[in-house]
Amino acid sequence: MLSKVNSAANYGLESIEVDVEVNIAEKGFPGISIVGMTGKSNEEIKERVKTALINSDIDFPLAKITINLAPADLQKDGSSYDLPIAVGILASMGEVSLPEEKSYFFGELSLDGKLRHTKGVFLLGILAKENGVKNIFVPRMSANEACVIPDINIFPVDDLTSIIKHLRKEKLISPLKSVEASNILNNSEIEFDFGEVYGQDQAKRAMEIAAAGGHNLFLMGPPGSGKTMLSRALPGILPMLSEDESMEVTKIFSITGNIPPGGSLVRNRAFRNPHHTISQVGMIGGGSNPKPGEVTLAHRGVLFLDEFPEFGRSTLEALRQPIEDGRVAISRASGKVTFPSQFMLVAAANPSPCGFLGDPKHSCKCSVHGIQNYKKKLSGPVMDRIDMHVVVPTIESKEIFENKKVYEKSESIRIRVEACRQKQKNRLKKFGLECNAEMKNKHIKEVVKMSPEATLLLRRAMDKFRFSTRSYFRIIKLSQTIADLSNEIEIGQANVAEALQYRIRDEANETV
Amino acid sequence: MKVAKEIRDEWPIFEINREDELFPNKLKKISPKIEKLYYRGNWDESIFDRSAAVIGSRRMTKYGMEVCEEVVANLVGRKTTVISGFMYGIDTEAHKNTIKYGGRTVAVLGGGLDELYPTENLELYRQILETGGLIISEYEADFKPCLWSFPQRNRIVAGLANEVYVIEAGRKSGSLITANLAYKLHKKVFAVPGSIYSPTSQGCNMLIGEAKAKILAEINLDNNEEKVEQLEFFGDKSMEILKAMGNEEMTIDELHEITKREVWEISIELTNLSLSGVVEEEGGKYKISRLRKS
Repeated sequence: MLSKVNSAANYGLESIEVDVEVNIAEKGFPGISIVGMTGKSNEEIKERVKTALINSDIDFPLAKITINLAPADLQKDGSSYDLPIAVGILASMGEVSLPEEKSYFFGELSLDGKLRHTKGVFLLGILAKENGVKNIFVPRMSANEACVIPDINIFPVDDLTSIIKHLRKEKLISPLKSVEASNILNNSEIEFDFGEVYGQDQAKRAMEIAAAGGHNLFLMGPPGSGKTMLSRALPGILPMLSEDESMEVTKIFSITGNIPPGGSLVRNRAFRNPHHTISQVGMIGGGSNPKPGEVTLAHRGVLFLDEFPEFGRSTLEALRQPIEDGRVAISRASGKVTFPSQFMLVAAANPSPCGFLGDPKHSCKCSVHGIQNYKKKLSGPVMDRIDMHVVVPTIESKEIFENKKVYEKSESIRIRVEACRQKQKNRLKKFGLECNAEMKNKHIKEVVKMSPEATLLLRRAMDKFRFSTRSYFRIIKLSQTIADLSNEIEIGQANVAEALQYRIRDEANETV
Repeated sequence: MKVAKEIRDEWPIFEINREDELFPNKLKKISPKIEKLYYRGNWDESIFDRSAAVIGSRRMTKYGMEVCEEVVANLVGRKTTVISGFMYGIDTEAHKNTIKYGGRTVAVLGGGLDELYPTENLELYRQILETGGLIISEYEADFKPCLWSFPQRNRIVAGLANEVYVIEAGRKSGSLITANLAYKLHKKVFAVPGSIYSPTSQGCNMLIGEAKAKILAEINLDNNEEKVEQLEFFGDKSMEILKAMGNEEMTIDELHEITKREVWEISIELTNLSLSGVVEEEGGKYKISRLRKS
């Protein structure tokens, strides 16, 4: 007997409906064969489904079972077809009858018949809503992912036995209650609070400006000075994720399996800190069935590149497009996929390979040549897209223990940042931009107002520090953000003077 | 790497033999014997009348860098030629500062005159020649510098100099060879004392301890407190910051601790002060610039 069950396949960040057809033929050599581009997972699916059914007290038929996953030309990886195949076999055996309304089945089986946490449930929910499919059957541990999607019934399934009972109408599974996205998002919590970071007042101020204007940041300081700590706290002062933003991020996290069992919408902005040995594919994404890389996982969040000069040259070169366009296009033989990648970049480096150049107590152990090579890597396409340069000095350990000072919490900083972003949004709406960092030279010329004293100061600084035109515009963008933070109508002299503290230091150019 | 062709063409190599009249008498007492010298630049006898070697380790600390500048500035003020070994670290710093303060400097290379080592010093090579200095070597033009040739050229440095200043030296430093040679030649040797914890000062401290070198304990320090008084036209906030800074180097965070002013306020003042050249910044630390009279 032939039965047909619906499920979905994930490609890039999209889901595509897949028909799972199961036929049990009375004649023929007993066994299971699966067709429809399942690749390597073919053999594994057979074993899991067969054993799970046997362990759920089902008398597995000694017959020729043929399974087809359609459309046949789409590559189907992963383990989410276990459940639809098992249900299809049960229906073909006449053990259960399929629901009358169209339903999606999705999930990985364990050998004892239980369902495991499966990635991609959020996307399945979106697909169901788009296609007008009412019911989805998914593992209980993953069911929460989809609970914010309205107008669908999500049936959390524990194991094969419970779904058999449900389909036989012996014991019905009650669908999950849908939840308003705003309820989840309002409960966002800050993982790392600025209040816990000792000292580093200048770096904190810099972080606030960077967060307010969306500026990329470069931190320079000796090992152990707190560069990582500060960067980790950065997502907490960025504006809270809006509903749309959270949906985008949840999609990415769902497909990469980054949502923990029981988790739902992503509430916090991402903080990604890949190690410097990362490959180019790991960074920007790829693979024959393209998967998102770190730049996409950091979407709407922070990408932190520690030991920046140690990253491979090709990896850094590849960052150019994602930074510039806010998305990354991956072309493979199987097709082209675009992943979003709007993140704030924080790059960090030591002053020299050993970290002690210019330290008052340690002598630097690096050769001049080594230092030069290191510094050379601090230029290039990525550094050109960084607006701020901050020096993070070492903190004496006694300062940490003796210090009883109370530092400002992330939350109150975030409120200022949010107000500042709103101002920028209003001003830049006509260009379709969100924050000052996104302004191009033509936008700057059109909307930025600067007092004559400020212009004069910038001119003076240009001569003294030998700015390039690029640096000149960078300082203007930064000054604009500082002016916005202090509610100025136009950029004043003081705003420019402060912005100049965060200029990119290029020692070769400066006249001291 | 070879010295760039345009420099080689513009500044030909001259030879000077032991028998020649120009050959410095100072070098005749030195062993192993120096038969011949090669040089680029204008050999003017007066260049060696007043001369001092400023030498030190390749791995210098910031302390060494600062003292080096002080010492060189002083020497140039006394119209003294600064001799050094063209190596990276203190040597390079000594040559550069001499040029900065308008003095003449002599570089004694550990290899032939056409061999550029360290390679990043090409610009310095040119500047030494253009500012009336000399580049000297006892080796053939294309002789590549090697392990033994560096200590060997040290005897020329010691021989040419009337005084020797050891800025920073490790326990097994080449600078100690020069200093010991100079001591044997009865030249005045000065060593800059340093922290007993600092490996780059151990050699200097040892020289002082063995009484081979005089301690260089005093240098014309300008007193920032006095200077600050003269800068009153910068306004109250700036004055407050300058006073807090005093004679030390400080980060913005430290100034924030002392003055209790907001980081952004301090940033604004510091930008204005550095644009006027009153303070200077390096690696995130600010200090009041040394305003020299020269």
